[in-house]
Amino acid sequence: MRILVVEDEPLLQTQLADALRSAGYAVDTAGNGVDAHHLGDSASHDAVVLDLGLPQIDGITVLRKWRAAGRDMPVLILTARDGWHEKVSGIDAGADDYLTKPFHMEELLARLRALIRRAGGHASAELVCGPLTLDTRNGRATVNGQALALTSHEYRVLAYLMHHREQVISRSDLVEHIYAQDFDRDSNTVEVFIARLRKKLPPGLIETVRGLGYRLTAPR
Amino acid sequence: MNLLAARGSLRIRLLAGTLFWIAASIAIAAWGLGSLFREHVATQFNGELRTHLDQLTAHLAVDGQGHPTLAVPLSDPRLRLPYSGLYWQIDELGEGGAKAGAAAGGERAKQVAAGSLRSRSLWDSVLDVPPDAPADGEIHRHRVAGPADSMLGMVERVVRIDDPAAGLPRSFRLIVAADERLMVEPVARFDGALWLALGVLAAGLVVAALVQVSVGLAPLRKLHGALGRVRNGDAQTLVGKFPAEVMPLVDEFNSVLTQNAEVVERARTHAGNLAHALKTPLSVLANAATGKDDELARLVVTQVDTAKRQVDYHLARAQAAAAMRVPGARTTVRPVLEGLLRTMRRIHAGRQLELVLQPIAGDPAFRGEENDLQEMLGNLLDNACKWARSRVEVDARLEQGSLLIRVDDDGQGIAAADRDAVLRRGVRADQQVPGTGLGLSIADDLAQLYGGELALADSPLAGLRVVLRLPAAGSAVGG
Repeated sequence: MRILVVEDEPLLQTQLADALRSAGYAVDTAGNGVDAHHLGDSASHDAVVLDLGLPQIDGITVLRKWRAAGRDMPVLILTARDGWHEKVSGIDAGADDYLTKPFHMEELLARLRALIRRAGGHASAELVCGPLTLDTRNGRATVNGQALALTSHEYRVLAYLMHHREQVISRSDLVEHIYAQDFDRDSNTVEVFIARLRKKLPPGLIETVRGLGYRLTAPR
Repeated sequence: MNLLAARGSLRIRLLAGTLFWIAASIAIAAWGLGSLFREHVATQFNGELRTHLDQLTAHLAVDGQGHPTLAVPLSDPRLRLPYSGLYWQIDELGEGGAKAGAAAGGERAKQVAAGSLRSRSLWDSVLDVPPDAPADGEIHRHRVAGPADSMLGMVERVVRIDDPAAGLPRSFRLIVAADERLMVEPVARFDGALWLALGVLAAGLVVAALVQVSVGLAPLRKLHGALGRVRNGDAQTLVGKFPAEVMPLVDEFNSVLTQNAEVVERARTHAGNLAHALKTPLSVLANAATGKDDELARLVVTQVDTAKRQVDYHLARAQAAAAMRVPGARTTVRPVLEGLLRTMRRIHAGRQLELVLQPIAGDPAFRGEENDLQEMLGNLLDNACKWARSRVEVDARLEQGSLLIRVDDDGQGIAAADRDAVLRRGVRADQQVPGTGLGLSIADDLAQLYGGELALADSPLAGLRVVLRLPAAGSAVGG
């Protein structure tokens, strides 16, 4: 899962990025409207945390541009402007949720999880695929009740596959969603992560679809 | 009507001034015309007496027996009618005549024959004239008592005639008198006619003054109406054609209104900027302290929460107070509710709530700023969505000139005993669950600033019913 954090206050940006990384997300950051628009428009993010008061282009305009270009990732507006007037215009511009500063980091994480889950069409915080269960609230994966020990990259791959289970996910898709923009990518590492996950999971859960990618599926 | 009220009313001032001048002019005209006429009548009265005296002088003769006589009787018929009011009388003076009388200072013994010849109108009475002896050619004037308790104005002169029989000159005192009533009656008649005419004139002037004041003050009444429309929220500025004297006032007032709106907008922007400036560092502080388990971190977290609530609460109040000073604000309720419901559906998307806006009859409008209506309704709806189990219903209508908005939820409700405390919670910043209650109390504060009210009740949906009563704006935009 890859998140874009748009916040012009450097300290808060760092805090947000750190908190999100430690919650298992890959994080891109932008400190102004132009960078934010470019990043959100060119890369695949599973959610965006968007401050409204940005230098160069304000957040609402950035959001409108994304929506006009067909970018439909969930957007959580994070702003000090807490009037309902601002909330209504934010939602009408295409935001999915609204959180006002100062905020509790747990609440931000919970809202973000809910947004990502809903975007994938899941109602529950627990994603289930056969014997495998992923609790998005605490990032715990279990097989038949037994906890799995996962590295952060393994978790990201598994979480993305769980959010899109029964769908074929290409290798490049996985790369897009588990690495941040500035990370030195190598698509071969995806194969390494998949191989490690297969060792930890019951056999047959992760299928290879030749020439297309991978699919997480419950055994029939 | 006391003096203060009289000073306070332009109408009464104008009317009092006009009436004073009408009364003064009428009084001066009456006095002037009256005295002019009296003088004219007196002149005529005296002239008539003179004419008769001259005739008497011309016709006086002494006959063969030495009696004074008139060669020709005087022509005025009133002189023959008894007590007609016009009289003459001839007294014969004694030895020495006028010269002796003038020199001796009026010795009574010299007057020998009072009323030796009289007009028939005197009948059997004799005029009792004061002793006097005008010099030759002089005419003297007196007031004397006449017959039948009348006062007479009289003129007299002394004439010397040579008596052919005696061969001596004899002196006669010739007197013509007329009843003063002859002078008073026409004056009284004239006065009556004069007062009537002046009364009619005064009445006409008063009516004219009333009409003029009413017509003259009409633009002020119109201005009052235009201001009323601004106050009711039917118009943003004073509209209409006004006279050149009032127009500068209207223009000035309109520019004050415009300036006021700009000031409010600036204040709002500043308040928003201040909030933004404060809240980002507060976020940084709170995040830095979160997750650490020591005394300082806990202190920072609780104090940041307190600071956030205080900023929210006072920001809302400051914005509301600024909004109250913008006259002419008018907000249609329906689009605000629709926008908020869209927002609620998105924000509470995870809760599968059914948000229902009941059909709104007509197009009710709120007399105030859109931001404030959004703030009140946003807080109420958000609160309802937080507590509802599955359903929130909203209803807006006009009732007895007020705007009535009802928000129902099917949550657990608030016990009747706790309702007051919930509304007052905004003034305290120590509630346990962040965000709860503060919304209701902010909405309540805003409503009160607008002269409205917030009431909590049991909902037919089993949860809480919040009834917000606000001033409604007129149904049509004033033109």
